[in-house]
Amino acid sequence: MTLKRQLLLVSLLALLLPWAGCEFIRETESALRSGQQQMLAGTARALAGTIATHADEYPDQIVDSEPAEQLFIHPLSTEPTIDGFFDDWLISARSLRSIGGRDGQIQFAMASYGRMTYLYVNVPDHSVVYATDQTMILDDGPRYADRVTLISSNPPYLEEQFIFSAEAPGSIISYKQSGIVNNPEPAIAAHWQDGPLGYRLEAQIPTELLGTNLGLVISDTNNSSQRATRSSSFSGQSPAPAVVASKGLNTAVDSLAQSGMRILITDASGWRIAIGGELSAATISESPEDGWSNRIYDMLVEGGEASASAEPDPSGREQQLYVSAALAGGEKASWFRGEDSGRAIVAVAAPVMNGNEVLGALVVQMGTDAILSSTNEGLARLINLTLIATLLVAGTLIGYASWLSRRIRHLSVAAENALLNETLHTALPSALAVDEIGDLSRRFSHVLQQLGDNNAYLRSLASKLSHELRTPLAIVTSSLENLEHETQSDASAGYTARAREGADRLRRILSAMSEASRVEELMEHAEPEAFDLRVVLESTVKAYRDVYKKRSFELDCALYEASMTGSPELLIQMLDKLVDNAVDFSATDDCIQLGLEEQERRLLLSVTNPGPPLPSNMRTQLFDSMVSVRGGENTRHLGLGLYIAKLIAEGHGGSISADNVAGGVCFSVQLPNQDSR
Amino acid sequence: MAKRIAIIEDEAAIRENYSAAFRREGYGVDAFDAREPALNAFETRLPDLVVIDVNLRDDIEGGFELCRELRARSSDLPIIFLTARDSEFDAVSGLRLGADDYLTKDISLPHLMARIAALFRRLDAMQKPQAADSSIKRGDLAIDTERMTVHWRDEAVGLTLTEFWLVHVMARYPGHVKNRQQLMDAAQAVLDDNTITSHIKRIRRKFVAIDADFDAIETVYGMGYRWLSD
Repeated sequence: MTLKRQLLLVSLLALLLPWAGCEFIRETESALRSGQQQMLAGTARALAGTIATHADEYPDQIVDSEPAEQLFIHPLSTEPTIDGFFDDWLISARSLRSIGGRDGQIQFAMASYGRMTYLYVNVPDHSVVYATDQTMILDDGPRYADRVTLISSNPPYLEEQFIFSAEAPGSIISYKQSGIVNNPEPAIAAHWQDGPLGYRLEAQIPTELLGTNLGLVISDTNNSSQRATRSSSFSGQSPAPAVVASKGLNTAVDSLAQSGMRILITDASGWRIAIGGELSAATISESPEDGWSNRIYDMLVEGGEASASAEPDPSGREQQLYVSAALAGGEKASWFRGEDSGRAIVAVAAPVMNGNEVLGALVVQMGTDAILSSTNEGLARLINLTLIATLLVAGTLIGYASWLSRRIRHLSVAAENALLNETLHTALPSALAVDEIGDLSRRFSHVLQQLGDNNAYLRSLASKLSHELRTPLAIVTSSLENLEHETQSDASAGYTARAREGADRLRRILSAMSEASRVEELMEHAEPEAFDLRVVLESTVKAYRDVYKKRSFELDCALYEASMTGSPELLIQMLDKLVDNAVDFSATDDCIQLGLEEQERRLLLSVTNPGPPLPSNMRTQLFDSMVSVRGGENTRHLGLGLYIAKLIAEGHGGSISADNVAGGVCFSVQLPNQDSR
Repeated sequence: MAKRIAIIEDEAAIRENYSAAFRREGYGVDAFDAREPALNAFETRLPDLVVIDVNLRDDIEGGFELCRELRARSSDLPIIFLTARDSEFDAVSGLRLGADDYLTKDISLPHLMARIAALFRRLDAMQKPQAADSSIKRGDLAIDTERMTVHWRDEAVGLTLTEFWLVHVMARYPGHVKNRQQLMDAAQAVLDDNTITSHIKRIRRKFVAIDADFDAIETVYGMGYRWLSD
């Protein structure tokens, strides 16, 4: 793992900062919210006590009817037009109730505005059968029509039926059937509208015509001779009481509701009979100026139920858990959070008691804007600051890590380059820095310098040694030569001869050792001349054929001319070393191939011999001074030959390399040709 | 009268060995271990030939100094440098000071003796009138084998003994390639490639100094050298 990644990981710890901030915000928010809940609970209890005094405003308890069968009369805010359209009721489409019909789900709703009660029914019907005949309006045959019947009763009095049946689409006349009397009811306005899937009916009925209990029956037939299928909103014999908003309670609630507070009152079944007050606007709509910090805030704080469930239920019946709990006699708090606005709504439901009887529930809801204004602003700033701080810390750490790793990388690359190019005395990067990397750099340079000094010493060692040894050798040689002129016994003559041989060998070794320094010296003082390497090579190969009779030589040169500048004598000396090497590592009658070609405007001279491959670890050291891969038995080599070859190649601005090729070894020398020099 | 050879060498063993060898050849020997005693002795009498080591103990370039002073006193006194210093630079420096030869201590005694004998022979020949039969003419080149002098277009070319022998062996059979061994034998020395190259270069330079178009010595790459005669 790179240093940068490591530090990046470490910098992730800085994320603890905003996390801690968030935890703090969350704690604060939940503490403040529970405080508000408690406050609200107190309010709710007090209000419930107040409302309980209006017990008479509550509808009578219905024991025998199913609450779900009760029809809810939605209070409307505007007067709708009777045209068969539901849009102008301005209430949610989810307020529509559904019952199963013959051709699909029948949807309907009832509402009140002023002194009028409204009915809307949407009946899916594949074939609408009109009451083209007066007799068809009565549902007793022999011919039948599609119709909607509103059943109204005022127990224990007789049931009445309001029948809506169309002769044709458009405004229709409705009939009121009371017992067997069936008369048109002109006070009722109704509109029948056909659609592609069925028909819609909208009717306006004066409230005083209706009883307390209401039910809806839809009769659907496919043709006039067939008895209609009935779909009913109630299951029993007679309809259940309709739920009507209580005027008295609404008035009471309106006066009790404080600003930003909403109060709902339900009856014992959960039907909403009064609503008052409004949640503050900010709770519902987003305030645009501090949008994104609020979003972050909302992401951080604890989520509650969706705020939509805090809204009055469109069906008119409040069935949330906390309301149910209140209807069961207990007080219960809940809170909601909007998905888009994010503002929380705290709600408390308290039972309205009349003695031991639960009359209904009182729900108090309040937006948490008070909390938000105190916490959100400050805490949003906290979030901002910690986020900025975190980003800064992380960014700085990453930048710092990049910088550090770049320095280290530079240093290592420079050190490696210095090693490779043997420029061991160059200054390394960061050498002036006062930190540990600077120390490292200085120590590196120091080591490299020592290495360089060492290398230089090693390089000069051979020539120094040979120089120092030459004088004692001269003593030995001259003594032996003098000795040869003395009269000696055969034995001592033999010894002298052997000593001469040894001294001779020693002399050859010494001159080999100083050869490198002499080559260097020659190269310094050489006057470069222009010559044709091809001619030199051809002539030299001819000479090799004479000298090494046990090898064959092949020259492969496609170039017509290979002009270059330098010292041909030195190049021949280099070639001598390479060929000598090739001869040593090949077997009798092997063919040594010499090649000369041009590659990328450089001359490439190669000497290839069959033989054992080079050990891979020696490939680069091969050209160093006093390095030899030869076996121990061959003592005449000091590992200077290839070093001298390298000196000469580099002295001519070229380079030398050794590679293993199929079945042998290839030494190649790259030399600049005349044009490029 | 026996010729007198002075040897100035700080290394006692070598000095003694060489002295013994010289005496065996019948020369008189004056051996010195430093520059001062040698100069003092030469005040009274100059030897016939001087063998000098460049390094004289702490007097690192003492040999060169000595050579300069001797050459100032006598222009024809044969002076041979015999040293462990084998660098080209030293050789050039020594020869520029007027030494007749610059030898490394690698040289064998017989080789050294041959040179000394040759130098004495030249000295003798100089004092005799020129013998017509001792000269070889190859175009512009004239070699006097007795006096060991070489003329190019009638102008004397100042060659050292080694250089003279090298020119002589090449010019005797123009067109024949002389390889390293042949050159070494002729020069009475053990020479490596680089030394031969240096010698040939120096010889060419000396001829070129007289004749800018001189190109009579041809390098036969990998083989050796040959003298080209018109």
